[in-house]
Amino acid sequence: MDPAASRPAVVIDNGSGYTKMGFAGNVEPCFIVPTVVAINESFLNQSRSSSKGNWIAQHNAGVMADLDFFIGDDALSKARSSSTYNLTYPIKHESPLTAPESREYTGEIMFETFNVPGLYIAVNSVLALAAGYTTSKCEMTGVVVDIGDGSTHVVPVADGYVIGSSIKSVPIAGKDVTLFVQQLMRERGENIPPEDSFEVARKVKEMHCYTCSDIVKEFNKHDKEPAKYIKQWRGVKPKTGAPYSCDIGYERFLGPEVFFNPEMYSSDFTTPLPVVIDKCIQSAPIDTRRSLYKNIVLSGGSTMFKDFHRRLQRDIKKIVDARVLAAEARLNGEIKSHPVEVNVLSHPIQRFAVWFGGSVLASTPEFFTACHTKAEYEEYGASICRTNPVFKGMY
Amino acid sequence: MILLQSHSRFLLQTLLNRLQNIEKGVELDHHWVEFDDVRYHIQVSMKNPHIFLLSVSLPTPSSETIFVSGLPFGAIEAIKAAYGSLVQILDPPRDGFNLTLKINLSKVPANQEQKQALLVKVASIREVVLGAPLRVILKHLASRTVAPDMDPLVALVHRPKESFFVFPQADKVTVMYPMRFNDSIDTVLATSFLQEFVEARRTAGLNNTPPCSWSHTTPQELKEVSPEALSANAGFVSFVIFPRHVEGQKLDRTVWSLSTFHAYVSYHVKCSEGFMHTRMRRRVESLIQALDRAKPDPESSKKTSHNRSFQRLSLKESRTRSFS
Repeated sequence: MDPAASRPAVVIDNGSGYTKMGFAGNVEPCFIVPTVVAINESFLNQSRSSSKGNWIAQHNAGVMADLDFFIGDDALSKARSSSTYNLTYPIKHESPLTAPESREYTGEIMFETFNVPGLYIAVNSVLALAAGYTTSKCEMTGVVVDIGDGSTHVVPVADGYVIGSSIKSVPIAGKDVTLFVQQLMRERGENIPPEDSFEVARKVKEMHCYTCSDIVKEFNKHDKEPAKYIKQWRGVKPKTGAPYSCDIGYERFLGPEVFFNPEMYSSDFTTPLPVVIDKCIQSAPIDTRRSLYKNIVLSGGSTMFKDFHRRLQRDIKKIVDARVLAAEARLNGEIKSHPVEVNVLSHPIQRFAVWFGGSVLASTPEFFTACHTKAEYEEYGASICRTNPVFKGMY
Repeated sequence: MILLQSHSRFLLQTLLNRLQNIEKGVELDHHWVEFDDVRYHIQVSMKNPHIFLLSVSLPTPSSETIFVSGLPFGAIEAIKAAYGSLVQILDPPRDGFNLTLKINLSKVPANQEQKQALLVKVASIREVVLGAPLRVILKHLASRTVAPDMDPLVALVHRPKESFFVFPQADKVTVMYPMRFNDSIDTVLATSFLQEFVEARRTAGLNNTPPCSWSHTTPQELKEVSPEALSANAGFVSFVIFPRHVEGQKLDRTVWSLSTFHAYVSYHVKCSEGFMHTRMRRRVESLIQALDRAKPDPESSKKTSHNRSFQRLSLKESRTRSFS
């Protein structure tokens, strides 16, 4: 075996919020960095317009201090400490609906600039299913509910094939939960420095939010025992360095509630997530529907709220049961239908489910035969990235 | 990042993480690869959360380089000197690796600064092991002697199946690198980079740095080496190291910079390649914009551009599709 093939592959999941990077065969990614790029606009403009002498002066002044871009954590810290860097979020979520052009572009960069021996661009929902593939049974049929930071997709997959026509998108994602939490805290008049409020809201979301079964009951619980449910947040003001503290109250359960009752967050989109999932399955081919209900897989960081899968399962079950009852009533009870099994699966590695799926896939021996290779690229050009070998009967 | 860091960032991060929540007995089993084909594997079991097993696999040596029981000479002494009682070398090493260390995390000092320094040292295991022979030679140079039991020309591994050569003398050490690249574009870029590199050495501010030269022909000192070990497509670089470059604290830095010189060059080649490609893409984009502006009728052109993006399969793919 040639040494390049025996080296583990690098798996990179470009999420809209965080980029997960690591080697195939591991359980966790090695590095998780925020998906941002800080571009030094002033540097770019300057070097374009200035003469050569000026460039050398700038060069000697310190190349390290003036790199033209930073990525990840460095980007965030640089953007905060100096105003020369502009933050941009360059990567659009790699969704099943990504245009083939952007795949070609990825292929071009990977092969030309980085000289990679092989490249494999996978559809993230299939990878999320592959992640469940090892923890439970060999099931390549299911609905992937992928809620990232910037986008939410509901993708039905039948035997490893994505049913493209039934993919549904929801314009509410992790960032909206953060914005909603921020809004709630601001309206209550919590003492948070305005420049920090988004960051605080994000941390509150990640650390304290949970899904409740009933909002009214939850409000009552909070009102009866505030000491038990209301949490404290302590921080330091970035400008003055003075410490401050604020309360975290109802937003703990109201944040994730955005997915189930979107009307309280935006007036544009009011369909709850369970209804979207149900519609998605109903639009899939009829023979796959039962198995799709049986295997609903969660992936993405914003599905990590406590009891999220229970609530989702209960709500979908309610919709399905109501439909079955209505059908039976219409037929006057002449035909008894089998009860439909609804299962929402959650697994501990849900947060990197897509990355983990990639890691599992890339550590199989067949993987190297399914890659686009450098030789192929040189022969046919970037158009090889348009098709995905997964669809050519790998499963 | 102008110079490569000597510690593996992920290893350091894992060690720190591990020490912070040592009570939580989480199982760990990770493997990863670094530049020049150095592989790492770490393992922590539930039963002994204090025991950290670290395996390192080094690049395969070429025929000129001698490894003593799978390690460069002087490596075991270097490990013992660097870590003391913290680590224990397991024999035989894990299957497929050159070296396995058993690190006892309960012996890490509590003092924050000492702890950090020690962990960074553990994370730079690669420097300790691969740089060991070079360190021995340079130590002798510092005391202006030549190691007694050593060949006049020493070959040291730095990349899989590739070596660089060290020619030790009492008052100076000459280090020679045959530069080899796989890609033709890389070769061209590396050649011009190295020419600039040698040129930059002549700047007034760099008088005390090691003299360096670059040439297409094999240096005099390497006449006896077999020709296949010297198949360099980007010329030969040589540095002359004087005792003043290895005094005290400078020794570690010199060893690291010398043993990763090839990686340093390829890193810069990659960066300049990336930079050039960025500029090429920007140019293409601006040209496409100019073309777009020149389009006569946006209404009718919309449809054709839509069609174009989904057709055009290559020959091979259409063939495989029809077969499957």
